Order: sequence, then structure tokens, then C-alpha cells
Amino acid sequence: MSLRALGADTAARLRAAESLNAVLHWSEAHLEHEAARLEAGPLGPLGGMPVAVKDNIVTLDLPTTCASRILEGYVSPYEATAIRRLRAAGGMVAAKTNLDEFAMGSSTEHSAFGRVHHPLDPALVPGGSSGGSGALVAAGVVPAALGSETGGSVRQPAAFCGVVGVKPSYGRVSRFGLVAFGSSLDCISVFGRTVSDAARVLSAISGEDPRDATTLAEPPMPVPEPRADLKGLTIGLPKEYFPPDLDPGVRAGMDRAIARIRDLGARTVEVSLPHSPYAVPTYYILAPAEASANLARYDGVRYGPPRPAGLPDVRALYQATRGHGFGPEVRRRILIGTYVLSAGYYEAYYGKAQRMRARIADDFSQVFATGIDLLFTPTTPTPAFRAGEKTEDPVQMYLADIFVCAVSLAGLPGMSLPIGRSGGLPIGGQLIAPYGADGPMLAAAAALERGLDPTEEVR
Amino acid sequence: MRISPDEVLKVARLAELAVAEADLPTLVRQFNDIVGYVAQLDALPPEGDITPFASGPAAVRWRPDVVGPEPLVLPPAALAPAFRNGFFVVPRLASMEPE
Repeated sequence: MSLRALGADTAARLRAAESLNAVLHWSEAHLEHEAARLEAGPLGPLGGMPVAVKDNIVTLDLPTTCASRILEGYVSPYEATAIRRLRAAGGMVAAKTNLDEFAMGSSTEHSAFGRVHHPLDPALVPGGSSGGSGALVAAGVVPAALGSETGGSVRQPAAFCGVVGVKPSYGRVSRFGLVAFGSSLDCISVFGRTVSDAARVLSAISGEDPRDATTLAEPPMPVPEPRADLKGLTIGLPKEYFPPDLDPGVRAGMDRAIARIRDLGARTVEVSLPHSPYAVPTYYILAPAEASANLARYDGVRYGPPRPAGLPDVRALYQATRGHGFGPEVRRRILIGTYVLSAGYYEAYYGKAQRMRARIADDFSQVFATGIDLLFTPTTPTPAFRAGEKTEDPVQMYLADIFVCAVSLAGLPGMSLPIGRSGGLPIGGQLIAPYGADGPMLAAAAALERGLDPTEEVR
Repeated sequence: MRISPDEVLKVARLAELAVAEADLPTLVRQFNDIVGYVAQLDALPPEGDITPFASGPAAVRWRPDVVGPEPLVLPPAALAPAFRNGFFVVPRLASMEPE
């Protein structure tokens, strides 16, 4: 297929998937322009692969709104390093995808532009916050998509949608041009229809960047050679991630996947990460604290819609812009972040959470130091839930991330792999690797992927 | 510890967020739910000395202190309605009165 035909085919697929509400910005003219750009130069290793991009990663030729009214119509004057590298490697930027506003949410219901529908059942959520990217890959519109993770926002929707979702080591991919939410946690991450698609895109966007001092001082990650089996590997099963109340379908999927891991030659051992149960409360102190600082710039002066007339002073301008421009979840998180950083409460909340973060990370280090190569856990405690089920109860929504938060706090690479279905809905299994071992994790995932039918009912 | 509507409004002022009166009861309830949930960390025993944790590369690198080309597609002067002597010219805002 020619690149122009590929662009036209992508446009047709985007049009056919409009009912998902997974896309915020795309046009046929833009896709034609992308195809012409690719035709004009040498075709990189991605060979024209259409890749959708979460709308909190800045692009020059399409708006970047973070699914917020406060950035409606905003077009960045610069391009994210990940986008520049994606294009240079032969990637076709297909569309900008819907998300929870400023990447704050677990269901993509908190978008100012309407919720995203699950591709298998429109009454369900696709997970979040990168739900638009996950839904587009699951619906077969694009083979891969960029998302972002602060506390599981790619792995969780990947599990709900039945696709591969990879969060690299913190620093593997430059964050230059990713709209900041929680800077000590934020990672541009990748969805793929297969492990190979995700690994190729991750390889293309990885590598040191002088514009992000937190990037690893390493060249781009090579595309890992898929393993034929898992012989010689020891895979830890952390007992805290298999609680008695785990959804029976998820448990059945995990049992089948663990049996397959053993069939492929790996040894499995039970391990303990005793502080992981505190990951969600730790995350929901640290991430809002960082967000309250990062989102201070949306004040109606530096960023934000034009000033309404008749405001008496600059504080009224700030409060009106922010009060009306941000949606309810973003407002809640800014308030919580401001509260936990305020005088008198700092030590009780932020100080405790910082120390718990160190404990959580140390648990992983200790387990990997005993000769464990990878950890395997469920990605989510349940399959996808119904829209509206958790929107009025923020704590229940936060608990959807209970198995993915700890990896983000520890800065480790983690990925979700579809391992089967329960009641027709996808289930994800999560692989976690030591810091920097993104390649070995993907190589092992490729072996497991070949050994599991992701559409098979497990109970 | 319950957080009162007045305390929530005070935090909202610190965060420069207007809160509509109709939204306040729901916001106070959800604020208390979230703070009550995360407060479980405060109930844990003291941990002793812990080295602070930072994700990623062990040492953040300094970059050379040189002025490089702008990474912008347009020069700064093209991004503002007015630009004079290397500065953005912005309208004067009302001065902020101390509380």
C-alpha cells in the first residue's frame, strides 16, 4: 500500500470509529500532508506506521487541548521531542486522542469534550487517562498510539481495552513537550496492537534529550529481539497483588497465564512487596501536590481563554479563569495538592508520602536483588467498568489504579499484556522489570504473547 | 478530622480557584473522602531515617550554559501582539491589593 493510500485508509478508519469519541483532532488534509511528508524523505524504521497521539503531547500542526476548556484551540509553538523522533523514524501522526482532562482520571470520563466509549461495549469505559489512545488501538484504527503515564494511565486502559501498553523506565523517553502533570512521575508511554508494534514505537522515541535533564544518558533503546521461550528466567508473583477479593475472572486469567509462563520454561516464586498496598494513598498525595504547582500557569494570563471583562483585579481574573476553565476532577486535585502542601499539613501528608514512596521503591529493589528477573501481576483488579459507576466517588475511581501506581512511584518499566477475556471483556497481566530493563521485559512479553490467545474466555 | 466548608474555601483561595456555591456541598464531601483516605499514611508508625527517593537517573546532569537556537517554530516576537527591545509588551493589569 502506498503512503497516500495508507493515509486515506487511516482517515476511513478514523471516520468509522467516530462513535467512540476517542479523537479530538484529525483531518483528511492533515493525513494527506503527513503522507506527502513521508513520501518526500527516506522512510525510517516505522515505515509510515500511523500512530495516534494523546492530546497532552504538543504538536505544531494540530491543537493540544489536554481535553480541557482552558486550552481549547491552543496550538503549540514547538513540537515534543517524542513527536519529532516519531516523525523522523517514519511514523505518521494520525490524530490527537481524547483523555481525562490534563491526564487526571482512570476512565476517560473526565474529558471536557465528552467521554470515550469502550470499543467492545459503549456503556463501558475504556480506562484512563489515555482512554482515547487505548480505544483507537483496540478498535483497529491504528496499530500503535502514544499515551502518557503518571500513575498507570496507559497500562490500565491497555488492560481494559485488550491491547499492549508499555510504560518505560522514567527517563527513557524525553518529556519535552509533554504537558506537565506530576513531573517526578510523568512518562510518555506506548500502546500497541502487539508487543512488537509497541516496542518499535518505544525504540523510535527513546533516548537522551538535552531538552529534558531527567532523560537517561543512553542512546535510543534498540528494538529488543523477541525471546522464543522464558527458560532461565525467575518471575516473582507478589502476594499483595493477588488479594482474596480479586475479581474471579481476573484470577482465572492470571492462573492460566502463570501456567503458560511455567510451560515456557520460567521458574515462578511468590514474593512480597509489603508497602505496595500504600501506593494509591501515596500517589494521591504526591501527584496532586505536583499538579497544584504545575497547573498554576493556567491563570488567564500565561495560558487560558481571553479575559472576561469587568473583573475588579488580577486575583478575580485568576479565580474566574481557573474556576470555570478546569473541570471537577482537576479542581479537586488542585485543591487536594494545595491542602497537602499548606503550612501545618505538609509533614502529615507530603512528608509521610515522600517517605512511603522510598519504602515502595526499596521493596522492588530488594526483590530484584534476590535474583528475580521480572514480576507478574494483574494490571487491574476488575475488567472494564460501566460509565458513571465511579464518577461520584473519587476514592473508588482511584482504586482502579491499585496495581499500577507502585510501578510509577518507583520509576520502573512496566507493561500490560492482554491475557484472555472474562465475560467477553479483556483482562491484562502486568510485567514489571528492574530500572532500565525495558528491553528484556519486552523480549519476555513477546514470548508470553505468542503463548496466550488474548480473546479466549478464561472462565 | 472533618474539613469544614470554610476550610475548603480557604484552600480554594490559596489555589486561586473560584468555587460556585452550588458545588460546595459535593466538593466538601469529596474533599473529606479523599483526605480521609490518604490520611491512612499518617496512622502508620514513624519509619526512622529514610533516604529520599528520586526516580530515574541517579544524578541530574547540568547542560552547557550556552544560548542555543530557539526550539520554537516561530521567533518569540511572533508570539505576542507587541514585542519591544527583547521584551513582550503586555497590557497593565490592575494592581493586587494585600488582603
